[in-house]
Amino acid sequence: MFEDIPVDVSPMYEGERIRSANMFVELGGPKSSGAELVQVAEDVEDGSLEVVGSELSEMSEGEIHPFGISIQIQGEKLEKELEGVIERRVHELCNYVKGFMHLNQRDQIWCRVSKDAVEAGFKLEHLGKALSILLKEEFPIIEKIAVSIFTEKSEVEAFLETARAAYDVRDTRAMEISDEDVDVFYGCVMCQSFAPSHVCVVTPDRTALCGAINWFDCRAAAKMDPEGPIFEVTKGEVLDVEKGEYSDVNAMVSDRSQGMVDRVYLHSVFEYPHTSCGCFEAVAFYVPELDGIGIVDRDFRGETPLGIPFSAMAGQCSGGKQVEGFTGLSMGYMRSPKFLQADGGYERVIWMPKEIKESLTEFIPGDLIGKIPTEEDAGSIKEIRKFLKEHEHPIIERLKQAKGEVEESETFEEVSDEGEITPTAQVAYAPELSMHAGGGVKIILKNAKIYAEKVIIRKK
Amino acid sequence: MIIAVSGKGGVGKTLISSLLIKSLKGGDRDILAIDADPDSNLPEALGIKVERTVGNVREELKKDTAAGNIPQEANKWDILDYKIMESVIETPEFDLLVMGRPEGSGCYCAVNNMLRKIIETLSSNYDIIVIDTEAGLEHLSRRTTQNVDIMLVVTDTSKKGILTAQRIEKLSKELDISFKELHLIVNRVKPENKDDVLKKVSETGLNIIGTVYEDEIVYRYDIEGKPLIDLPDDSSANTAISMIVKDLKLK
Repeated sequence: MFEDIPVDVSPMYEGERIRSANMFVELGGPKSSGAELVQVAEDVEDGSLEVVGSELSEMSEGEIHPFGISIQIQGEKLEKELEGVIERRVHELCNYVKGFMHLNQRDQIWCRVSKDAVEAGFKLEHLGKALSILLKEEFPIIEKIAVSIFTEKSEVEAFLETARAAYDVRDTRAMEISDEDVDVFYGCVMCQSFAPSHVCVVTPDRTALCGAINWFDCRAAAKMDPEGPIFEVTKGEVLDVEKGEYSDVNAMVSDRSQGMVDRVYLHSVFEYPHTSCGCFEAVAFYVPELDGIGIVDRDFRGETPLGIPFSAMAGQCSGGKQVEGFTGLSMGYMRSPKFLQADGGYERVIWMPKEIKESLTEFIPGDLIGKIPTEEDAGSIKEIRKFLKEHEHPIIERLKQAKGEVEESETFEEVSDEGEITPTAQVAYAPELSMHAGGGVKIILKNAKIYAEKVIIRKK
Repeated sequence: MIIAVSGKGGVGKTLISSLLIKSLKGGDRDILAIDADPDSNLPEALGIKVERTVGNVREELKKDTAAGNIPQEANKWDILDYKIMESVIETPEFDLLVMGRPEGSGCYCAVNNMLRKIIETLSSNYDIIVIDTEAGLEHLSRRTTQNVDIMLVVTDTSKKGILTAQRIEKLSKELDISFKELHLIVNRVKPENKDDVLKKVSETGLNIIGTVYEDEIVYRYDIEGKPLIDLPDDSSANTAISMIVKDLKLK
């Protein structure tokens, strides 16, 4: 199959690096520019190969050249959506060629050709040939394939523009992919060494809590290492679309958490929130007085409206515990349209640090931006309530309605004033407090707040 | 062939590592030096200026991800792979990878998991890898590799140095770092105390593969900030290391 290619072509050369000491030339990379692009097209001339610019035989040792690989494919079953998937294989397949190093993707490719390969008579034309054979073999739906390789500066620059426009289209599409558009989610148990019952469920709308990996990363990781800590999970029956509850996800979480957790709502802090490992980027916490949700991120050093800093809160709801009213979040999830959708999304958010609020400007609905206070606007529950009222945050309407249902005669204003006159200090707050009461009974207080009129500390 | 050099801080690991590289280079083998001790100065000893470490790369990726600067579909493995390759400092005779500072707060499980595999792949391209690692063997156990062929433990003549050397042997077993050989190198030995010191050290039960005498010229290079790799071929330290390389059949 590769008889007219003078070097070996085999998966065993994957991961091959060429040291600068052994290199003939460098193509693309940090000191030059380069890109690769796969496009579905019409009228592709099958088997066409061209090198636009210098061939390796016309280059001198030690040179660095710009580099472009343009691949056009045609086939009855080929869709534009598959371009990205097929393009992702170019990296591995280039590396099958002995003496050719290929790193990264898109407009960040970095290639090197070894001295040994050039001595053996290897040319870029051979690279194109190998790619067209390997791609057709791997994706039988490709009926026709044409490869163009650019080393001429102006050609590469023009190609870069075309390629970047194509990546933009793809990225916009990827941003729009939501939980409904895919058949599988991924589970990740990478953090189980210190949070043994924690399982991350990664979906297009919910990146892992650590923020490091999204659905696409998991897809790549699960494919590379199917036995590894990241694995596929089917959805099964959709139990609640708003809350994000799926039967197979529940079963997987139950299995992987050793039965500690058996239900998970992906998009709510109530009832069965997603568990947290300990290394989340932010925490969403329920504030019962205002029936709203606050958010605090790891970099925020001050105190939250609950009177405790991020670190204390993280300690209480991490380690794989399912604590109602708390859930770990990634910054990425806060950019998702499904962000706590079952709870009302940003309409329910009543406080967040200024820094993250600013970074989310594009994602918070425009009419809410000015209505959500930060640490600069309000610190205590009282101050937040005042701010929310002044700025007509939708939560106020919600509070009024709720109050109205409970005690119709009492107005909201009176209740709030009364509540705040009482000179009590909150001395402890615990999202979950368990006490052993003897006789084999365990009492669990959820979201317990202990108030005291006076705290006396005395030496015995 | 992976050679790890470890020992208590300040016993002269960097001297030994840099002279090992000096003695191994020059042939047709591909050599990678890994500086896995955040407190060491292997790059300076090798006469190399470092611009970017694996630690920097790790933080950059964390930041870019949190800020949403990485396209959703882009593969982070590949990005990390590229950045690690970029932080390898290439010289005609050997390459150098500096691990840099340990991570800050936040979750690094995912990125460290990726890094371990990437560095494994990168390392598999070299014939000889010399790792200058800290006494806690942190990098060996978590980040770089768990398979070491030769573990060289360096100690000076102090009680503390010798105790640490003993502890490293135990620790590497506990951490499940497999090695084929473990040897001790005794550094900064005064000729007049040699017998005494070697007797004390041999009580540890560790195999002593070499002794490096205290050498005025090493101090001078340190003070003047000259790279230790440029020590004269006939300096006593260099001769001692060349002997060790020969004894270990590395050349």
